Amino acid sequence: MTVAAGIGYALLALGPSLSLFVAVISRKPFLTLTLLSSTLVWLMSLIALSAVWRAFLPFKTATWWPYSLLILTSVALQEALRLFLWRVNKRMEEMLDAYADRVSKPRLYITDKMQIALAGGMGHGVAHAVFFCISLLTPAFGPATYYVEKCSKIPFFLVSAIMALAFVTIHTFSMVIAFNGYSEGNKKDQYFAPVVHLAAGLFTLANLVSGGCVVGIPLLYVMAIVTLVHCGNTVWRRLTDNRSMETNLQ
Amino acid sequence: MEQNPRPKTILETCGEEIIRIVTPVSICMLLVVILVSVLNRGSSLDDGISFASMATMAYSESSSDSIWDKLKGALLNSLVFVAVVTVATFLMVLLFYLKCTKFLKYYMGFSSLLVLGFMGGEIAIFLIKASSFPIDCFTFAVALYNFTVVGVMAVFMSRMAIFVTQAYLVVIGVLVAYWFTLLPEWTTWGLLVAMSLYDLAAVLLPGGPLRLLVELAMDRDEDIPALVYEARPVISDAGLGDGVARRRVWREGRGDFDEDQRLRSDRLPDSSLGSYLYGESQSARNIVDAEDGRALGGASELAAPLMQHINIQMNSLENAASSDNMALEGIGLGSSGAIKLGLGDFIFYSVLVGRAAMYDFMTVYACYLAVIAGLGITLMLLAFYRKALPALPFSVLLGVLFYLLTRLLLETFVVQCSMNLLMF
Repeated sequence: MTVAAGIGYALLALGPSLSLFVAVISRKPFLTLTLLSSTLVWLMSLIALSAVWRAFLPFKTATWWPYSLLILTSVALQEALRLFLWRVNKRMEEMLDAYADRVSKPRLYITDKMQIALAGGMGHGVAHAVFFCISLLTPAFGPATYYVEKCSKIPFFLVSAIMALAFVTIHTFSMVIAFNGYSEGNKKDQYFAPVVHLAAGLFTLANLVSGGCVVGIPLLYVMAIVTLVHCGNTVWRRLTDNRSMETNLQ
Repeated sequence: MEQNPRPKTILETCGEEIIRIVTPVSICMLLVVILVSVLNRGSSLDDGISFASMATMAYSESSSDSIWDKLKGALLNSLVFVAVVTVATFLMVLLFYLKCTKFLKYYMGFSSLLVLGFMGGEIAIFLIKASSFPIDCFTFAVALYNFTVVGVMAVFMSRMAIFVTQAYLVVIGVLVAYWFTLLPEWTTWGLLVAMSLYDLAAVLLPGGPLRLLVELAMDRDEDIPALVYEARPVISDAGLGDGVARRRVWREGRGDFDEDQRLRSDRLPDSSLGSYLYGESQSARNIVDAEDGRALGGASELAAPLMQHINIQMNSLENAASSDNMALEGIGLGSSGAIKLGLGDFIFYSVLVGRAAMYDFMTVYACYLAVIAGLGITLMLLAFYRKALPALPFSVLLGVLFYLLTRLLLETFVVQCSMNLLMF
């Protein structure tokens, strides 16, 4: 709609991530590298999915079940990827700890580990926003705009930016929850991330019906807020436990 | 708050050097993408400008040819280009062997003058035209003159502030990369692949010119004169044990002599950038010839990743034992422990991403991630093998692969999902 609108849409999707990046992640170069690698891994999973589904697209039917199958397979692949990332993360933590011992510096604190998880999650979120929203924004910098018939009240770019914001939140913070769950062995946290991801993906199916985005997008935001709150609780609990453990030891 | 602040963990500083090289590469790519999207919007490039240059000498592409013709033409062009680059590199080796470093140094200054003055001037004129910026030609001439002179001094002399030198190197990379993106499409991709294969061969094969250059420089204990981007060295605090990464060991060895280290790190940009222009001379020649015919110089040397010495100086003497010297190619470590990356690598990465920008922004993001991943892999291999390694192959080949995959597979998938407002 003009350069201003284009930049506005981009900031809508990525604004909070940008501020989080500047405030937390750019301070430590290792976190930036983690972000870049997790973005790359997400992209590779997306390419793998598109390789599988390319033959079937575009769907000729208007029914909802091929789309739900698509979402199911995508979420399944990405959650399996999360498990793989946890293994890699564990290995890397061990290497970093060994290195820290060698240079006689303290081992990784719990906050460090959570920051690495945050950077990894943000990599996924940023990759989602970039590929599903930002890369389609190029026409938005021109003089016109575009509406989708299923959701015809607001421009397409705005809808995708809003959805991207929700997904960025979900991806970023569910990674923190998942890594916490894996390291503590907490089953509830371990299952939280896949369930929320799947639920969020399935809620977007509501957008297939005309006017469905009025229902789908608020539900998506409910998921995002649930993720945020749960992450906050988990982190708070973990930190206070840690602090009380430290004071007990001293 | 707490009584005493907790000691800092390694997470604060780990990976600092890699970020210091990834940042300027990213800035260079970003500037080229911006230039491409601002200047090429609305102009059909493939059949509009018949761009005569050395790179299209053998075959000038037009959009009406068949795919097979385009492929053959691109192959022919790339072969010609690589042949010219090889000849120029061997010439460089010969000159270095005959110790004509003064000549090479002046040539480097001269060609950076041409790049900044003429190429920079032309691109500035394009930008002024595109944005209707009100400026008169006298102001423009004075500004351009000043800009060029400071740039030549930054490349030529050693006493310039490191930030200015780095900025000018990035600008030179951006300008040359933008000119490369004006080549026809198939030729550009063919050129990229051919140059990365050439790079692989020239550095790793025993008779390769770059390898000869490295060995010559090693024998003589001299720095290879060329345009190199050197990241600011990371000054670590004392008390590091023998680190895993070699660079830490080197830094540790010098950690005692902070004074020497600082002096050396100031001197390094001189010696490394000073002497000769590895290939810039070639491009300068071609630019001079070309100005009449608007031909683009082959960035033969620029293509070749630069090598640098890693002087492991374990004692306070000025010149370390030559047996400790080790040259690492493409990406390497300067004697102060900072990472150096050749300007040719900057240029070809940016050409790849700029070409991807001419199709769509999704390919830009995918190719950017691929190039950074390739850079990371090369750095890791470097720390592993401690040998001269080329910086182009991994990044360019990964970049081309991701470009093809995105263009053929990913784009349809993402557009289909997004149009139905389905996301995951």
